[in-house]
Amino acid sequence: MQVVIGWEEGPRGVRPAFVTDPASARGLVFDERCTQNLVPYLSPRRTHVARLGRPAVVVKGCDARAVAGLVRETQLKREDVVVIGVRCGGVVADPTSLEALSPATVSDRCPGCTAREPHLADHVVGEMPPPPPAGSRRDARIAELEKMEPAARWAFWQEELGRCVRCHACREACPMCFCERCVADKTQPQWVESSPHPRGNFAWHVTRALHQAGRCIDCGECERACPVDIPLGLLNRKLAQVASEQFGHVPTDDPAVPSPVGAFKKDDPQEFIL
Amino acid sequence: MNGRTITHAQLAALVADLVAAGTAVTAPARAADGRLDYRPVTRLEDAVLGDGLPRLSLKALFLPPTEPLFAFRLSGSDVAIDSVPTSFPPHVVLGAVPCDAAGVQALDKVMGWDYRDELWFGRREATTIVSVGCSSRDETCFCGATGGGPTATRGADLLLVPLEGGFAVEIVTSKGEALVTAHEERFGPAPNEADVARSRAALAGSRVEPVAPLAPVTTWLAEHFEDPLWADVALRCHGCGACASVCPTCHCFDIVDEPEGVTHGTRRRNWDTCQAGRFTLHASGHNPRADQHARFRQRLMHKFSIYPARFGELLCTGCGRCSRACPGGMDLPEVLRTIAERAATAGGAA
Repeated sequence: MQVVIGWEEGPRGVRPAFVTDPASARGLVFDERCTQNLVPYLSPRRTHVARLGRPAVVVKGCDARAVAGLVRETQLKREDVVVIGVRCGGVVADPTSLEALSPATVSDRCPGCTAREPHLADHVVGEMPPPPPAGSRRDARIAELEKMEPAARWAFWQEELGRCVRCHACREACPMCFCERCVADKTQPQWVESSPHPRGNFAWHVTRALHQAGRCIDCGECERACPVDIPLGLLNRKLAQVASEQFGHVPTDDPAVPSPVGAFKKDDPQEFIL
Repeated sequence: MNGRTITHAQLAALVADLVAAGTAVTAPARAADGRLDYRPVTRLEDAVLGDGLPRLSLKALFLPPTEPLFAFRLSGSDVAIDSVPTSFPPHVVLGAVPCDAAGVQALDKVMGWDYRDELWFGRREATTIVSVGCSSRDETCFCGATGGGPTATRGADLLLVPLEGGFAVEIVTSKGEALVTAHEERFGPAPNEADVARSRAALAGSRVEPVAPLAPVTTWLAEHFEDPLWADVALRCHGCGACASVCPTCHCFDIVDEPEGVTHGTRRRNWDTCQAGRFTLHASGHNPRADQHARFRQRLMHKFSIYPARFGELLCTGCGRCSRACPGGMDLPEVLRTIAERAATAGGAA
C-alpha cells in the first residue's frame, strides 16, 4: 500500500487523512465524529489521489457499501484496494461538531443501522460500540411529506430546491456519482439545463435522484456537501424505500448482488408501465 | 465620527417607510429551515441583525446565481434581440455582514475593468448597503488579516454599531448620507463616542486572528506556481465547488443559450467555479488543469496573488465560509498558515 485513507484530527473536528508515511499512521482516529465517507476518494476521477499509489481505505459498514457499489459497477477491482473496516456505533451529522452523539446530533442514516459490522473488509478493527440512538427523524419527515396535499409538497420542494445554485457539490462528493461525463454536463443535446432556475433545478435533482435509485448507499455525503442545506437525503431515502418495496432491494456491501437498475427479472413489478 | 443614532423602534419605522415607498429591503432572515439567508423583508422583526453569516454571501444580490443577459427570437429570416433592463429600482440591504460588504466592493474592480458590467453596476447603483457590526466570529474567520474587522466599513454606505436600545449610525458614503437625509426624522443625534468605542471593542473581543497579515503569502505565491506543496495540500478536496458558491468574492460565470421553443430562447449567465474539471476543459479534450490540486492552486492564486497583482487588493475578505462549507475538511486559514511558514523559512525566496 502506498496510501492509507482514514480520518485525523483537523483544525475543526475530524477530517479525511492521507497517510503515506507509516510513522504518521498514529495520527489516524476513529470515533463518533468520523462521519465522512472516504470511498469517494477511490473514484477514478480523483486523479490527484490516485497518483499517490495503491490505496487502503478505512470504512464504516455503511461506507463499505460504497466500495461494493464501485466493484459492482466495475469502477474498482476489489483486489486493487485494501479495505480496513471499523465497527461503528453511529456518527454525528456534523463531523466538526463538538457535541456528543445523541438523538439530536446523530446522522440521519444511523438509527436502526444494520451495517455496523463491516463485511467487505480485509481487516476489521475495534470492539463493537453500543448501537446508535434510535428513532429516524428522516423517516418521520418523509411520512409527513407523503401526507401533505400535492400543492403543499410542491411548495416545500420549490422552497428547498429554489436555493440550489447548481454547484453540483452533491455529485462531486457522492461515491456513486463516478461518471466521467455526467448527463448534466452534456450540451449536445443538453438534457438538463445548467441554469439554477426552477426548471433546471428540478430537472437536475430529479435526474440525480432517479440515477441513484437502488444505487445510493445512504452515506449522506451529498446532503452534507450541499452549501445551501437542501435535504437531499429525503429524496434518496424515499427512492430507497421504493426500491425496497418494489424490487426487494436494500443497499448491501455484497458486490455480487446486482442493483435493481443493473438486473432484469421477469417477475419485476410492471404496474407502473401504462 | 460622522454619525447619528437610531433606536430599534425608529429602525422598524424606517423599514416600514422604505417598504411603503416601494423600496425593496433585504436583510439576513430565517429561511423555512431556520437558516439565515439574505431575504426580502417587510418588517424589522423578520431581520436578524449582527448575529451570523447568511448561507450565501451578499454577492448573490448583485451577481445572481442565474440571470438573463438577453432574449433572442426568430423574426422573419433574422434574429431579434430583446435586451434586459440594466437599471434597477431602489433597494436597501439592511444588516450586511462587514466581510460581505467588503467583498462586493472588491468585486467592483473586476466588474469595471476591461468591460463595464452593466448588470452588476446597475444593481450596485440602485442599492444602499447598511452593514451591522458582527458578533458571530469563529475560528474559521480571519477578516482582520484581510484588512477588515467586525466593524469595518469597506463596501458599506452606513454602518450600524449596537448600542443600548438601538444603534450608532456611521455615515460612510454620500449614498448612505442620502438615506439618512431622506429619512431625517428617524435618526437621533450623534452618539456618545465612549459608548460606541466600548461597543466596537466588545465586538472585536480579545481575539487573535488565525492567520497573520497576508502580504508574505502573496509574495510566496507569485514565486511558487510549481511547488511540492500543491500535491499535498489539496488531497482532501473533492472539487465540489461549495467553497466558491458561498464565497463573497468568487465571481466566475458560465454563459449559456437556452432555447425555450423552436423560435426563441434566452442567453443567461450562471455561476461557475474553477474547482470543476470542466471549467478549463478544452474542446480538444485537453485540460490544462487536469488535477484537483491544480484547480485548488488556481483558486488560491486568484485570491491571494493574481487579483492583488492586477487590482492591488485581496480577493478574500476572511469570512471563513469556504472552511465551514467544505465537506472534505479543507481549511483555508490552515493552508495560509502553511504558506506563511514556508515564506518565513525561505525568507520569501524561491
